[in-house]
Amino acid sequence: MKPGRFALLFLVVLSLLVVACAPPATPAPAAQPPVQEPAAEPTAEAAAEPAAASGALSGEIVVGCAHALSGPIAIYGEPIHNGILLAAQQINDQKLLGDATLAIVCEDTAGDKAQAINAFQKLINQDKVVAILGPTLSNSAFAADPVAQEAGIPVLGSSNTAAGITDMGDYVFRDSLPESDVIPNTILVTKDKLGYSKVAVMYGNDDQFTQSGYDVFAEALAGSGTEVVATETFAKGDTDFSAQLTKIAALEPEALIVSALAEEAANIMIQARQLGLDVPIIGGNGFNSPKLAEIAGPAAEGAISGAAWNIGNPAPENQAFVDAYRAAYGGDPDQFAAQAYTATWLMATAIKNAGSADPAAIRDALAAITDFPSPLGTYSFDANRNPVHTPVVLIVKDGKFQVFE
Amino acid sequence: MFWQQLVNALWLGSVYALFALGYTLVFGVLDILNLAHGAVFMWGAFFGLLAVTKLNMPIWAALLVAMLGAGILGIVLDRVAFRPLRKRNAPQLAAIISSIGASTILVSLAQGAFGAQVSRFPFDTLPAQVFTAGPVRVTLVQVIVFAVSLVLMAALLLFMRRSRSGKAMRAVAYSGRISSLLGIDVDRIIVTTFFVSSALAGASGVFLGLAFSAISPFMGAPIELKGLAVIILGGLGNVPGAILAGFLLAATEVFGVAYVSSDFRDAIAFTVLILVLLIRPSGILGTAVERRA
Amino acid sequence: MLTQFLTDIWLVYRSVFEFALIGSALGLSIYITLRTGLLSLASAGFMSIGAYVGALLTIHLHTPLLVSVLAGALAAGVIGLLLGLPVLRLSGVYLAIATIGFGEVVRVFMLNIDNLAGRTITGGALGLNNIPRKTETWHLVLFVGLLIYLFVRIDRSRTGRAFDAIRQDHHVAASMGINVVQYRNLAFVLSALIAGAAGVFSAHLTYFVSPNEYGFNGAVRILTFAILGGYLIWLGPIVGAFILTFLPELLRFLGPYRPIVNGVVLILAIIYLPRGLVDPTFWRKVWRQRGKPPSPPPLETSSEAAP
Repeated sequence: MKPGRFALLFLVVLSLLVVACAPPATPAPAAQPPVQEPAAEPTAEAAAEPAAASGALSGEIVVGCAHALSGPIAIYGEPIHNGILLAAQQINDQKLLGDATLAIVCEDTAGDKAQAINAFQKLINQDKVVAILGPTLSNSAFAADPVAQEAGIPVLGSSNTAAGITDMGDYVFRDSLPESDVIPNTILVTKDKLGYSKVAVMYGNDDQFTQSGYDVFAEALAGSGTEVVATETFAKGDTDFSAQLTKIAALEPEALIVSALAEEAANIMIQARQLGLDVPIIGGNGFNSPKLAEIAGPAAEGAISGAAWNIGNPAPENQAFVDAYRAAYGGDPDQFAAQAYTATWLMATAIKNAGSADPAAIRDALAAITDFPSPLGTYSFDANRNPVHTPVVLIVKDGKFQVFE
Repeated sequence: MFWQQLVNALWLGSVYALFALGYTLVFGVLDILNLAHGAVFMWGAFFGLLAVTKLNMPIWAALLVAMLGAGILGIVLDRVAFRPLRKRNAPQLAAIISSIGASTILVSLAQGAFGAQVSRFPFDTLPAQVFTAGPVRVTLVQVIVFAVSLVLMAALLLFMRRSRSGKAMRAVAYSGRISSLLGIDVDRIIVTTFFVSSALAGASGVFLGLAFSAISPFMGAPIELKGLAVIILGGLGNVPGAILAGFLLAATEVFGVAYVSSDFRDAIAFTVLILVLLIRPSGILGTAVERRA
Repeated sequence: MLTQFLTDIWLVYRSVFEFALIGSALGLSIYITLRTGLLSLASAGFMSIGAYVGALLTIHLHTPLLVSVLAGALAAGVIGLLLGLPVLRLSGVYLAIATIGFGEVVRVFMLNIDNLAGRTITGGALGLNNIPRKTETWHLVLFVGLLIYLFVRIDRSRTGRAFDAIRQDHHVAASMGINVVQYRNLAFVLSALIAGAAGVFSAHLTYFVSPNEYGFNGAVRILTFAILGGYLIWLGPIVGAFILTFLPELLRFLGPYRPIVNGVVLILAIIYLPRGLVDPTFWRKVWRQRGKPPSPPPLETSSEAAP
């Protein structure tokens, strides 16, 4: 056989193979056993609010979703995607929108700002979506959200934590509590309980999420009169932190503050313990993933996370979400999934309250949402379209996050 | 602190060297920039992980499975992405495109099969033992990885120097045309090269998976760049050079963090790399013979 | 009806078209170095320098776009000159890794000069946002048009013939009295100028820049434009950039399988057209064979030349 033809044949077979062994990680929940009893979903109370004419809704209402589904950022995009699809299915099962159904069109941004812009353009101009959920990264949001703003399409980010996201315009929303709302309280609480006076700090300095987290930590530590004996950085995707940790261990801090996402944080914990650095490790939203304890195991015990969401929150909305997520995807959700799930519910509720599929009306209804019962807690948007709800401080005990007291 | 940092540097160096071993082999023999090596490395880690978690194999058997699996994958990679180009006398740069294509496919396949999430070997795969010697702490995993890296390096050097295939490989690396005139089956040697190189990538995937608990479809990307720097710094296709360069890069990084600043870790490493190349334009142990394009 | 349809298409793909034009310029910046036989991956680093210099001027001094573009290009050009003097002595992959190293150094530098004395410089990993959108589609068309004009002129000039001679064999070129070092430096600086300007345009297109966009992946991506498209004539990198920018967008219907098909297309394209999609010899052959029964695929016959 000619080499070219061999290659062609092989590639075709290969592609078929992939299609056959379809990704188990992102099934549409439709294919899953029906979600647990919808129980105490947000519906009841939320509907009571403006109680506008929601009978006007009919047909299919298309909401776009632009997230990183391929490439390294898919590690966050996958749970987000899961959360959105789960919420959409519940919303349609419960007929939240009356005769109308909520259709989600998802586009992959690959974590790239140019592709995020392209995805937004496609969703707005081709799919004629009434609103967009996304994008995954703050970087992409800074590039793509202005597109939605100009087109007058509301956009709701569920994982953008950088400062200035909602300053881009009155159509830009987020439901992800920025680190500045989470970390000062975390430092206050842990300093009070643990009584540390000198700490070392580690953060990823090439990532918007971890850099923002560090900025807030540094300010909060300075404000609380804590001495910072060392500040060390790493890069996204690094796996070896031993040089930094050795340097830190020699300075004998009383706590280690880490602004990192769960995957890097887990390896930092493992290596810190191996190097004999046995002090409490404190982080922000980035820690709040079941992966932390799963990967770090015993090294994660006692790790403290200031977070926007508590998986153990007994509120019925949260329990319903966690149960349904487990049933649909066979694992615990992380904070990204919880925030994306909430974002979808918020958007659907706004559509319902607006009683119309007009983007401007949806924007107004979204901005007006207050005291919405959600897995994140009782949820409102502030005047700048940022989230308002109470953050928590969590600690890993026996491999599970619990409220730190 | 100095001694611990020295240990850190040796440890990281063995990781880089292990990754670079197979990489430099393909580079040296075929003279192509294979950007899919990181993807084969990643699949090696997953083969090992599956062998341990699904087939309940002990880690040494899983290592063999990973090497075999990655080796076969390497041969397939050659058949699909590189052999057709050789048959067409394609310019060397063309291989960059097909290797990027192959890498994209392999990474996406892994994401399709395993999801994007990070996984790790079970906690009981190796005992989590820490040894203390004076001011220095090392883990059992580190000792094992270091030792096995040295063994693999020695084995590869012996293979290249002593075995028929190894000698033939070096001949092909020198010139494919002359080798075929000498009666060497160049195609067979290339297949062997891909198998050995990819098996080594698979082994390093398993070891890095054991060492760093960060197995994911994207684990190949960060180390790919470092590996590339190492093999070029060492001198094209020069196995001892790659090993030496691996330790040099690691030492630069670790001591850069220890005595300068972690903010500039990669900048320091790459500045040193550029400076070394300016002094030794064909790498540390590279020969000064100019290769014709 | 038709106009509405075409307007929608334009609205959906305008941004893709703009990115393809930026990509074309970047591809051309690599092409010019490849023409002198240099494998440089510095374009992403130059683009980064241009993007930051241009964006900072626009934000702080409210300079018009043209001034920002010229300043960004000039800054990249000066750095290119300083970098080129020592590193262009390296050849082949040694130059490639040195230029990749340069890109990494630029990236780390941009990450770490986030602020000086309380004033935001690059913003570090947070990047610079709120860059006014000043780049219009026609700016980019004009920019790429000017580059094409430049390359056509170079092709017909002494310089172009010198470049080709150097690429064929720089020893022979030197023995014919061509100042290889000088021409290579010229090509390298031109490459930096083009990439710097492209960086400024792209910064004013996407409202936002951050250091990581211009790392190793960015550098390799730019290289693929030139190799896939072909680096024998200037049309190659442009075709490469358009295909590689449009392909993932046109494959969106494939959802999660998109990267796989993307990869398959890359492999098939380079196997059948190893010298790039714009390979004059190949297309001339196809042109001559038009009308004849296509029984033996022309590609296969060309491969028979292999030993």
